[in-house]
Amino acid sequence: MALVEDRRRLVIRLTVVQYAITGIFAVLALSFWWVQVIEHQRFYEMAENNHQRTLALRAPRGVLFDRDGRPLVENRDSFRISILREHTHDLGRTIRLLAAVTGLDEHAIRRQVDRHRREPTFRPIVIVEDASLAQVAAVTARRLDFELPDVIVERVPVRRYPTDALAAHAFGYVGEVGESQMEAEGLASGAIVGQSGIERTYNQLLMGEDGARRVVVNSVGREIKTLEEVAPAEGRRIKLTIDYDLQRAAEDGFRELGYNGAAAVLDPSTGEVLALVSLPAYDPNAFAGGIDRDRWTALNVDELKPLQNRAIQGRYEPGSTFKIAVATAALEEGIVKPDFKVNCAGGANFYGRYFKCHLKGGHGTLDMRHAIEQSCNVYFYTLGNMVGIDRIHKWATALGLGQKSGIDLPNEVEGLVPSTQWKLQRRGEKWYAGETISVSIGQGQVWVTPISMAVMIATVANGGTRLTPHFVKAVDEGKGWQVFKAPEPDHAVKLKPETVQVLHDGLWLVVNGAGTGARGRIPGRDVAGKTGTAQVISIEGKQQAGKTDKDLRDHGWFLFFAPKDNPQIAGVIFAEHAEHGYLGAPIARHVIETFFAKKEGRPLPPFNKAPFLWAAAAGAAAGQ
Amino acid sequence: MLERRLYYHIDWLLLGAMLALSAIGVAMIYSATGAAAGGPNARLYVTQIYAIVLGLVVLAACLGVDYRTLGDNSHLIYVGVLALLIYVMLFGTSMGGARRWISLGRFYLQPSEFAKAGLALVLAKFFGENRRTIPTAADLAIAGGLTGLPFLLVVRQPDLGTAVTLLPVFIAIVYLAGMRMRIFAVLLVIAVVSAPIAWRFGMQDYQRERISTFLDPSQDARGAGYQQIQARITAGSGGVWGKGFGKGTQGQLRFLPVAYNDFIFSVLAEEKGFVGVLVVLALYLFVIQRALETARLAKDRLGTYLVLGVLSSFVFQVVYNIAMSAGLAPVKGLTLPLMSYGGSSMIATLAGFGLILNVRMRRFTN
Repeated sequence: MALVEDRRRLVIRLTVVQYAITGIFAVLALSFWWVQVIEHQRFYEMAENNHQRTLALRAPRGVLFDRDGRPLVENRDSFRISILREHTHDLGRTIRLLAAVTGLDEHAIRRQVDRHRREPTFRPIVIVEDASLAQVAAVTARRLDFELPDVIVERVPVRRYPTDALAAHAFGYVGEVGESQMEAEGLASGAIVGQSGIERTYNQLLMGEDGARRVVVNSVGREIKTLEEVAPAEGRRIKLTIDYDLQRAAEDGFRELGYNGAAAVLDPSTGEVLALVSLPAYDPNAFAGGIDRDRWTALNVDELKPLQNRAIQGRYEPGSTFKIAVATAALEEGIVKPDFKVNCAGGANFYGRYFKCHLKGGHGTLDMRHAIEQSCNVYFYTLGNMVGIDRIHKWATALGLGQKSGIDLPNEVEGLVPSTQWKLQRRGEKWYAGETISVSIGQGQVWVTPISMAVMIATVANGGTRLTPHFVKAVDEGKGWQVFKAPEPDHAVKLKPETVQVLHDGLWLVVNGAGTGARGRIPGRDVAGKTGTAQVISIEGKQQAGKTDKDLRDHGWFLFFAPKDNPQIAGVIFAEHAEHGYLGAPIARHVIETFFAKKEGRPLPPFNKAPFLWAAAAGAAAGQ
Repeated sequence: MLERRLYYHIDWLLLGAMLALSAIGVAMIYSATGAAAGGPNARLYVTQIYAIVLGLVVLAACLGVDYRTLGDNSHLIYVGVLALLIYVMLFGTSMGGARRWISLGRFYLQPSEFAKAGLALVLAKFFGENRRTIPTAADLAIAGGLTGLPFLLVVRQPDLGTAVTLLPVFIAIVYLAGMRMRIFAVLLVIAVVSAPIAWRFGMQDYQRERISTFLDPSQDARGAGYQQIQARITAGSGGVWGKGFGKGTQGQLRFLPVAYNDFIFSVLAEEKGFVGVLVVLALYLFVIQRALETARLAKDRLGTYLVLGVLSSFVFQVVYNIAMSAGLAPVKGLTLPLMSYGGSSMIATLAGFGLILNVRMRRFTN
């Protein structure tokens, strides 16, 4: 009985077990049904996100060519090391290891990571731009060992500029997009954009479109395979108006003579910029892979201001070159005829004050052509006094002074040509006629930029069409070179033929007669030009300043065009602390010689410091 | 040794279901290790096949000897297993901070896997011989001691996961042996009451963390909760029909640790979908119910207890592992018998089923 009872209980208990287990399996099946069928979509997406990653492929910026199709600014491959936090377990460890491997400061890496901490984890935080090969090798080896799976090495195109900072200020430089730019232009964080120069102005054309690569990664972030790749579209190729050989000729000239300064060389019939120089320059390559703080600070505090584009941002006294504007005003307003003569006795009295000419003994009696040739101050004191400040203002402005040239570079500044209205508005004072006397020879309250001087001389050269200097000749939108529409001339000045003739004759004499520009002379080329001296500090000021480390020597101007009739090239050489305008003339001569040699298919000439020693002597004697 | 008429009583259906599960396991190991593409673990599925063959040999050996003879020698077998566990404790091979293995040349034997069968045998014998209809406290104490010895030895390895699989053996056998339900109730109360105490004093930090993470995996999505979340994603992303053999991204790309071992069922769920899950669940259920039927049909109490003792730890592991595979249980290093990669587990499991088949086969003999 007990055994039967025992048996029964056993069977009951086994049955309980059977049902219990069946119940448990039913629960398991239901659970899987819930997870796999009901919630499938959610988990499916999570699985996809788990193993797929989209990496941006940076588009190379458009290549810049010179007018002959010679590549000037290209791209090179660089390596970039970033941390991708998506699958990171221990960020601190990654940072420590990365610092050890790359030889960087751990705190610097941490700061960089902290700066981007709020961004989504799938966006890489760039730690090293333009990494060295040793760094890349060290990181790659660790990645293979699974030590740094969350550190990625990307190959990205970066800008390559000419090695010797050629035309650095014209090209400008690139850098990471700033906050304000990001919003204004709808750019993505971390995008590389032009920050100055042509890179900035034509950024939209040059930028191209970034591509993307969708890859499968495993649990530690290692890439397994590529699912899809949208190749980046390279930025537009741009053919510039710059002539590499002229640019080099101009920069060589400055270097040979040891001057800093600026130069702008234009095609006087179109306004195309053939060369634009600003020295000292910076190396734009230093910015290409992200510039470091120290270098940036050094460039900014440098007293020589290498970041400033002197050609469009430097404001200087025009000195005697301003006499061109005064002469133009006098002739155009019909105040005098070209044969109007003034006797120079080495100085003259105006409004109770004695104004000196630069030639002690005086020039004697001169007409306008010869007054320009010899840069006689007394002649132009007299002329300016007759014309008056407001008409000088009108014609100097018409020639492009005191205004922005409209060149396609960012941050151009304007000079200043005074007027009675200006003085009233700015100073609340009346203009004194005596002030006009200094202004007549380009001193006092007159400030010009080198580019505006280039515009003036080009306008004089082409007979009165004020052109807008510009850099772009053609753009390749993917279907070959398309001519880029040049900006319309600012407005036609329409000079009288007589005015143009007098100016051309006078300026020709400056170089080819007894004038100050003899060092610019090229036999058979009919170079015309005008020198000028920009005072860094007035003579009285110089005495007050006494001994100082600052270079207070005057700057020299040389404006030029050639040939006199039907000019093909025009420009300005501004040599800092050259003391005399004529000392910059050899640079102009070298540029012009190069221009014609190239045009005629002859070998390019080497720079020659002083081919006409007699001319130098003559120039020195002439003073200004 | 094996009489011809006994051959006809072998439960071929049960054996077939087990082999089907093992075959599916091999296929999933093949997929999870990325064997087709080569790699450091590409040969694991071959090793698993060897283990199955070896396991079948051991199973046959277990069939050959009448389970009653084995029961008569259960004390020797039990002592032998204990000796192996002590040997492991003293001279075993350490891997990953645990001393669990005996090195046999290229292979490693994990004696704790065999402790289950050994324990089942000795407990079945102990209660089978017992003439009392209701076990006394002394009986329970002795049985508890028999269970506690190997349990402690395995815990010390440390291998809490495997040690815990010994407890179902004890519980199942004393349950069938007629222990009063109220004692079960008391034990349950004690368990509930002692849980906080164990939490406070008896657990390692990592164990506490595992449990709290289980309750809210997202609190530690990169650490301990990671595997649980990934397990759920793996199963869930499979959907109804699965991603296809060898196409599971979660398993293939190692979002799940040791997918070929602890998470083999997740790989199945991902690649074969809900349909595959149902098929495998049905196979396991069939194996278990078939074995329970054997317990019912057994000629004597020794047989019944033996079957249930062996089966209990099997069921416990299957249920726990599958629940874990769907992210429904805390992640614990428990393998899925018959499917997970692992030679000792496979051989021990087949040996255990050898005992079950043995009982069924000999239900008519004297």
